[in-house]
Amino acid sequence: MAKPSPSPHKPRRKAKQAGAGHATGSSSRNVSAAESMARVPAFPLAAFLWPARGTVSQWELLPLILMAVGLFRWAAGLWGYSGFEKPPMFGDYEAQRHWMEITTHLPVSQWYFHDLEWWGLDYPPLTAYHSWLCGKIGSLIDPAWFALFASRGSHDPTLKIFMRATVVVSEYLVYVPAVVIFVRRYSRLNGVATWSAAVALVAILMQPATILIDHVHFQYNTVMLGLVVASMSSMLAGRNLWAAVFFVGALGFKQMALYYAFSVFAYLLGSCVFPRINLPRFIAIASVTVVSFAILLLPLVLGTLSDVRRGIDTRPDLDGPRPPLPLFQGLAGYLDTEGFYYPVVEQLIQMVHRVFPFARGLFEDKVANFWCALNVVVKIKKYPAELLQQGALVATLASIIPPNLVLFFRPRKDLLPLAFASTAWGFFLFSYQVHEKSVLVPLAPMTLLLAGSHGLSKTTRAWVGFANILGCWTMFPLLERVDLAVPYTVLTLLWAYLLGLPPTSLAAYFHEGGNTWTQWATLFVHGSFYLLMAFWHVLVKFLRPPPDKPDLWVVANVGVGAAGFCVCYAWCLARLVAQSEILPRSWVGKKEKSKTQ
Amino acid sequence: MTEIYPSLTQCAVVAAALKILLFPAYKSTDFEVHRNWLAITNSLPLWEWYYEKTSEWTLDYPPFFAYFEWVMSQVAKLVDPAMLKVYNVDYDSWQTIYFQRFTVIVTELLLVYALQMLVDSSHGASKRAAQAAAVSILLSPGLLIIDHIHFQYNGCMYGVLIASLVLARNKSTLLWSSLLFAALLCMKHIYLYLAPAYFVFILRAYCLSPKSIFRIQFLNCLKLGSGMAAIFGAAFGPFALKGQIPQILSRLFPFSRGLCHAYWAPNVWAMYSFVDRVLIVLAPRLGLPVKEGALQSVTRGLVGDTAFAVLPEITPRVCFALTLLFQTIPLLKLFLQPTWDNFIGAVTLCGYASFLFGWHVHEKAVLLVIIPFSLIALRDRRYLGAFRPLAVAGHVSLFPLLFTPAEFPIKTVYTVFWLVLFLMAFDRLAPASSRARFFLFDRFSTLYITVSIPLIVYCSLLHGIVFGKSYEFLPLMFTSSYSAIGVVGSWVGFLVVYFTS
Repeated sequence: MAKPSPSPHKPRRKAKQAGAGHATGSSSRNVSAAESMARVPAFPLAAFLWPARGTVSQWELLPLILMAVGLFRWAAGLWGYSGFEKPPMFGDYEAQRHWMEITTHLPVSQWYFHDLEWWGLDYPPLTAYHSWLCGKIGSLIDPAWFALFASRGSHDPTLKIFMRATVVVSEYLVYVPAVVIFVRRYSRLNGVATWSAAVALVAILMQPATILIDHVHFQYNTVMLGLVVASMSSMLAGRNLWAAVFFVGALGFKQMALYYAFSVFAYLLGSCVFPRINLPRFIAIASVTVVSFAILLLPLVLGTLSDVRRGIDTRPDLDGPRPPLPLFQGLAGYLDTEGFYYPVVEQLIQMVHRVFPFARGLFEDKVANFWCALNVVVKIKKYPAELLQQGALVATLASIIPPNLVLFFRPRKDLLPLAFASTAWGFFLFSYQVHEKSVLVPLAPMTLLLAGSHGLSKTTRAWVGFANILGCWTMFPLLERVDLAVPYTVLTLLWAYLLGLPPTSLAAYFHEGGNTWTQWATLFVHGSFYLLMAFWHVLVKFLRPPPDKPDLWVVANVGVGAAGFCVCYAWCLARLVAQSEILPRSWVGKKEKSKTQ
Repeated sequence: MTEIYPSLTQCAVVAAALKILLFPAYKSTDFEVHRNWLAITNSLPLWEWYYEKTSEWTLDYPPFFAYFEWVMSQVAKLVDPAMLKVYNVDYDSWQTIYFQRFTVIVTELLLVYALQMLVDSSHGASKRAAQAAAVSILLSPGLLIIDHIHFQYNGCMYGVLIASLVLARNKSTLLWSSLLFAALLCMKHIYLYLAPAYFVFILRAYCLSPKSIFRIQFLNCLKLGSGMAAIFGAAFGPFALKGQIPQILSRLFPFSRGLCHAYWAPNVWAMYSFVDRVLIVLAPRLGLPVKEGALQSVTRGLVGDTAFAVLPEITPRVCFALTLLFQTIPLLKLFLQPTWDNFIGAVTLCGYASFLFGWHVHEKAVLLVIIPFSLIALRDRRYLGAFRPLAVAGHVSLFPLLFTPAEFPIKTVYTVFWLVLFLMAFDRLAPASSRARFFLFDRFSTLYITVSIPLIVYCSLLHGIVFGKSYEFLPLMFTSSYSAIGVVGSWVGFLVVYFTS
């Protein structure tokens, strides 16, 4: 809103050249990209940053952006959280609070064993360390918040403020700087103007799904996502070792980062093989990864060893002989259960067991992935779990191998977000034990496309917007359960409005030039999904599902969501293939070429 | 003329999103006040509105506001009839909260409309400045804190005020401007503070001939007189028929309240109290008598009578005389040169005088100065120089209104965001003055703005850590004394600008 002065006035200070200096490092970064030459902003978010074109330096703009998006986060956090006043088990909020309680009060070796029925710790160690830190700080303010046992199910309003603050602070320490740096590097790589990059930055930070899940529903996904973005950002900068370190951090924070693991592997391996085989690089990456994992586990291992020395049992409530290992029982034959290393092995296996719940079913709640949608047609839960696991494995591999092959053979930086997004979509759609919240994982790299080449063009905006709005919509049943329909509506519509997307505007679907047929096809596909979503909301609002099918609305949501996500997967994959130019030109039909325009 | 981006509608949409997200935020007793008025106007006959006293929050706004509440209560009936029961004291079902918060957002559309009028009434180079000023008012942290968190309907009423000020820009709409202002007075009588400027301006520009002050334009006077009579008749007529005017006046002007509203309003009396507190410590050395009975009263920071320990007492008469004096001085210039710019300047100075010297001034009244000033702050750099400390002081002084930890990040981050954004934008937009700058005013304002940072940190964070719950009056006193310096400084600066331009 800082408008460049039009009047002949004498400024007291010389107008800063800094902005221009930042903007024009090389000719490709000139404010010459098509979108910033336009006379009129194409969508409201561009209008808000319109006065900042050209003259305003990003050091003036960035603090304002961070303050504005922070305000929306905090305001959204005034609403309820998951499990608010919902005894007996409460929800994710209680889980995170409980982990702060147990990590600050129990010896390290008991973290993964303590009363597993009440939100037992089932995230990797970095989450445990993070909980420990937050719990320590919180206990300085009020020890009652995290008193062992006594604090379960606490809904102290001041505690809520503290917990909200930990999410915001964690996000501003990890996710926000990672995204800021990623956007800067990625937009420079693609020759996008600084101003357009700022628009993309706001769009990415205002992404409704992350705000709804982290700041309203309550979780710390942005820490994991931030570490992944930091890893991608290191890849852009050519610092592959740092990329490995950050990615290990992401995996160590939340196992959902595994969705990206194949892409990270394919890219790093590809960069060791192409254009020529680079063995030292490969060895360096491999050893740094191993060392990072070791450092990640070190506190857990040292804590276990020290607890053993002090004679602290992992399960003081349990009498009698040591129970067998929860996984890899065959291993027991080779191990000396009295050996000094045995408690460590047991600890690590317990951790893996907690983190990867193989024993649970293919899916639990209703989630908009392939299996749950298929379940509507064929009752797949009656098949043996073994078969389902193998089926899920095969389907997942089939969906993720193509994008990762592309990335392996063409380890190019500009392909990263697309490859990450298609791999994550594959995982989300076909893998095992998926949560509806996991949709954040494919959405994050897909939304980063906004900062890329033609990121703010109508086509990209339409597709990224479609995926995001559909993603939020599939989380509506989850949010509605704790009366969060208002923040859902406000944040989703606000984002759609800012980016000029349906339901607020259809402008993103009509543009001059480009293939008319593709435009109409996109409009048809997206339009029918938007109509279905709107219709579904009307149904849910005004009609009760039939008594014999109480889950009908949720099932409908899952079916539509899964279909839409399949379309998103296909688009990401098609665009990745087209952009990588991996297929010979003669193979590429007109259709795919037009999509990249 | 090409559109300037972002447009007011776009800003209003995004601001509305934030305001809806703030629905569950802290709300003050004013929320219950307005719920009670909804109930009174809906369930009682007109004649009992100003007599009803089940709740301690009796109706103490003029009749147009009561009518306004009555209109809203017709919708409220459909949302949750329980909120319309007078005996339902402190009722706040979520439907009530959604409804009342929502009415604030909807009625604020009037402000958006008035601001669009303001932009449309400016032309050429100043259109951009008008747009910036309009957006700054629309996004004002004052309105966000007072209306959308604390709970009041200022946005709507400032919309009426701005519409009236804009209409005064054009000779042909002067009559409508004055009638609109009369209607505003019948909504909230705090705008009486600005009435002298209106009186002088309308008298000179509408009732008297532009050529000579001795030629009265009788037709205009007739139109104005009958219009005024109609408006005040519509507002007070029904009550006058029943002889209820004295009762209404006793509700509207409760002179029994104290000089300072707690410690808060950053005006001359806050500085006066501060000096008095300091003198309590110094008095024994200076040999001044200290009144023992006064020692405890001020330090509590509660609403009530302020008693001074060393300095002489202030009576309402003194306040009134000082206010009138400092209102009259700028009005003389307005009478001689009745231009629109002088009119806005005079309105601003009337706001300043009443805020700085008035009896029982509320900190919220600072909007009475900031909002008219915003309209001319971008005339040139000298105006902006005077506006800057006011923008900082005025908004910082509103911080004590919200004292709950959950709203702390909202009020501070939003205010800092607004100050950075608009002071930067205004700095780019304000043209250089044709006259020289004066007495280091810019240095003062930069220093002043810098001091605000440690002050906020101390008041909101350090004080609690160092003293805990004791000496709670200290942060309040620091905030109001600091803000008072800013407001008084900007007043002096603006007086100079007003009389020299």
